[in-house]
Amino acid sequence: MRGTALQANDLTVMYGSRCGVQGIDLTLSVGEGVALIGRNGAGKSSLLRALAGLEPGSSGSVLLHGQTPLSKGVAGGLAYVPQRAQVRWDLPFSVIDVVLTGRYRTRRRSFRWSSNDRRTARDALYLVDASDLEHRSIGQISGGQAQRVLLARALVQEPEVMLLDEPFAGLDTAAVDRVAEVVESLMGRGIGVMCALHELDLARRLFPRAIALQDGRLLMDGSINSVLSPHGIEQIFTVSSATS
Amino acid sequence: MSWWNTWLAEPLSSEFMVRALIATVALSVAAPLAGVWIVSRRMVYLADAMSHSMLAGVAGAAILGGSLLVGGLVSALVLALAVSWLVTKARATEDGAIGVAGQALFALGIIGVSYQQDPRALSHVLFGNPLTVTWRDVAVDVVLASLVIVGLVLAKPLLIATTFDPQHARTVGIRVGVVDVLLLTALAVIVVVGLVTVGVLMAITLTVAPAVAARMASDRLDSVLFVSAVLGLVAGIGGLFVSYHASLPTGPAVALAATLTVVGAYFFRRLRRGVSRAASRHTHSETMVRS
Repeated sequence: MRGTALQANDLTVMYGSRCGVQGIDLTLSVGEGVALIGRNGAGKSSLLRALAGLEPGSSGSVLLHGQTPLSKGVAGGLAYVPQRAQVRWDLPFSVIDVVLTGRYRTRRRSFRWSSNDRRTARDALYLVDASDLEHRSIGQISGGQAQRVLLARALVQEPEVMLLDEPFAGLDTAAVDRVAEVVESLMGRGIGVMCALHELDLARRLFPRAIALQDGRLLMDGSINSVLSPHGIEQIFTVSSATS
Repeated sequence: MSWWNTWLAEPLSSEFMVRALIATVALSVAAPLAGVWIVSRRMVYLADAMSHSMLAGVAGAAILGGSLLVGGLVSALVLALAVSWLVTKARATEDGAIGVAGQALFALGIIGVSYQQDPRALSHVLFGNPLTVTWRDVAVDVVLASLVIVGLVLAKPLLIATTFDPQHARTVGIRVGVVDVLLLTALAVIVVVGLVTVGVLMAITLTVAPAVAARMASDRLDSVLFVSAVLGLVAGIGGLFVSYHASLPTGPAVALAATLTVVGAYFFRRLRRGVSRAASRHTHSETMVRS
């Protein structure tokens, strides 16, 4: 039996007086893949950001292998991959520049990247099938390539858990397949993956388990087939009285 | 080589022009290097407001008989605090807060200037005047500009991380707020460095314009940084000598020269695209002939 990699207890996120995530308890095993399903505004992104320590208005606890992350906003072993649209792609940076930013934690008072950092970054690009993009400007890559670059940046953090926020949004079929292959390989390498997504067929293909959210609350947590059963889908995507 | 004697050697026979040239060179390298990050982070409006707000501190220092440099830095700090308060406490939008606080401090500065016995005495602070540059100014400018250049070079990985994705930068342990404050401090120092040579208002043009031009010419960071510094030098030195020969105020002459680098970069980009298209057509037609 695999051990617990990530555990959240009574996780709550407040935006002023509005509740984004309310009292969520969850666990993620080592190397386990979980799809995070819900309507727009259900709290998927807020939950992922709270798990990564990026929500200043959050309460509750997040434990990685039973340990509290180092400090607020610095969650060691957790790698957060934001939605592509939340990142600036119009900058004069190369792909390797961006991937190396994931190595910041490993630097030791050095102002230059070490050869080990550079090797790790190249290895990560190889793993996401983007070695040919190393010196390409980030403004000249496609959406699918950009998504793989973000995954490479997360990989160089050598994480035990990856939190992916809608990595398939806006990609064409071929790009979706390539990103899906990378996500599968992550789980094959023993990395726990929690992935917010709207593509239900893809969720069935990639993940054995799903967590469904509604209005910031945990609606269902179980096998992918049970959560995405016709009855489950109806529940997840029915507008609740709280939001109507 | 009569043009050399007329345009360069003759002005440099005056000691004040040598002092102004050294101070301008220090500014012309440091300012565009910071400008690349200011432009990339979309902080140009804040930078512009900061330069205007510094008039308040400079005028206050002149009235109180204090250091104009320290006065300028204090007003930059006041601007940063006022914007922060308006955004976090008064829920103002960021650009709205910058506009209100920057203009208020600028207005205070103008009132402060009007209190001078001779309001024209501070005009060199606004637009620069090489005649006012002392060797002490040169030493301070070179030291401050060198500190900014070294700081920006060392902080490059941090600046990349926080410019590309500040949220992710937080998750890997970078204090994004501290990086923001350090960059704004570097900007304030640059405006102070530019105070005696090109003036507080025009120092921002020398910060922004070469950076914009360099970005138009390249999408590689190291190239953009290098080209921006070279264009800054061309604009700074060119503007200084043109102002000498045409009897123009130095700050506006340098600012216009910096603006011309953007025009030049536009035509360079068009030319490069044209050459690239022509080469592509040539390769295509050769392939057709062979097949």
